[in-house]
Amino acid sequence: MKIPDSIEGAALLSIIDFFLSFIFIAGIGVILYLFPLLNKLGEVKEDEF
Amino acid sequence: MYEQIASLMNDLMLQTGLTELWWGNIVMIVVGGILLYLAIAKKYEPFLLVGIGLACIIANVPGSDLIKPGGLFHYAYQGVELLIIPPLIFLGIGAMTDFGPMIANPSLVILGAAAHLGIFVALIGAKLLGFTLAESSAIGIIGGADGPMAIYVTMKLAPHLLPQISVAAYSYMALMPLIQPPIMKLLTTKAERNIIMEQPRYVSRLEKIVFPIVISIIVNLFLPPVAPLITMLMLGNLLKECLLVDRLAETAANTLLNIVTLILTVAIGSTMNADLFLNFKTLLIIILGLVAFVFGTASGVIGAKIMNKLSGGKINPLIGSAGIASVPIAARVSHVVGLQENRYNFLIMHAMGPNLAGVFGTAISGGIILALIGV
Repeated sequence: MKIPDSIEGAALLSIIDFFLSFIFIAGIGVILYLFPLLNKLGEVKEDEF
Repeated sequence: MYEQIASLMNDLMLQTGLTELWWGNIVMIVVGGILLYLAIAKKYEPFLLVGIGLACIIANVPGSDLIKPGGLFHYAYQGVELLIIPPLIFLGIGAMTDFGPMIANPSLVILGAAAHLGIFVALIGAKLLGFTLAESSAIGIIGGADGPMAIYVTMKLAPHLLPQISVAAYSYMALMPLIQPPIMKLLTTKAERNIIMEQPRYVSRLEKIVFPIVISIIVNLFLPPVAPLITMLMLGNLLKECLLVDRLAETAANTLLNIVTLILTVAIGSTMNADLFLNFKTLLIIILGLVAFVFGTASGVIGAKIMNKLSGGKINPLIGSAGIASVPIAARVSHVVGLQENRYNFLIMHAMGPNLAGVFGTAISGGIILALIGV
């Protein structure tokens, strides 16, 4: 379905975008919460570079 | 004899731009002068405004060949029009950015979405004022406070509005230190501004290396319309964090970024010709851009206030405004406003988390808009 070029369309686009932005950003946040687990896999020794 | 001299002088004058000069050019030359004044005298984002200001002046001197086909400014604009410059800028930014503060505090990432209410206020406002939905969406993205993303989305949706939108986006980004503090102070109490946040955790090298790889996969999977920009941002960051290709990372972060910034600024400035720029639509876009920045800043601060309540008073709401993006200007504004309240309150590292998340917030909003409008 194409979004109509009207005020309603702009409102619809804004609501969907604002809502989905939170979902996507929250998803990235959840993934970042898991990042400390990576440290259990091993360590990259910076002094080797 | 006199007639010949007069005729030759007339021919000579026709070769100059004097005959084509109109009051609009004079107005835009003054605008260019103001941009140069802000850059040089007031030190507001001189990296951007010096090039934009001078190119704006030159674009309004009718005799100049620089902006016509064959002129260097014309070819600089081709780099923007063909969407070559924005991804290269993101490559450079990625190579100079430490995403550690964002990785260290994932809960603050949500502020990168909260501070983007301005996009939608401007989008709906533009539609109410008679712009098409595609134009309104491009205008709304000014509120994402991300220059390359604003250019990218505008070139996809409403390329004829590029001069106005890019000038509004970059000008307001440069003017963040003036726009944001009054709103931040209005929406926070003295006690809230004084909150000293806990030190973020240490982020290991492995986490910093995995981050750009994971984000590249996510963005290409879920947001293909904006993937070229974010992928380049992540490539630049991977070059920096892997510590193995210092020369590439340094070139991307310094030499390359300087060159593409130079090209970008003269390209934007050269589009500010009075014939295209001086109309009622430009005025509306400039006003809508300001509305977007004001609402984005306010919604970010309010979002941080809510998080502060939920966390039991551990989050300083001043960092919320940094979620609007505009890295690192908005984070610096949070830091400076915090310092004005308490000179031992260093918010920069805390504000960088939402600030970097704001880049992704803008990319997500832009990607969804492009996907839904079907471009």
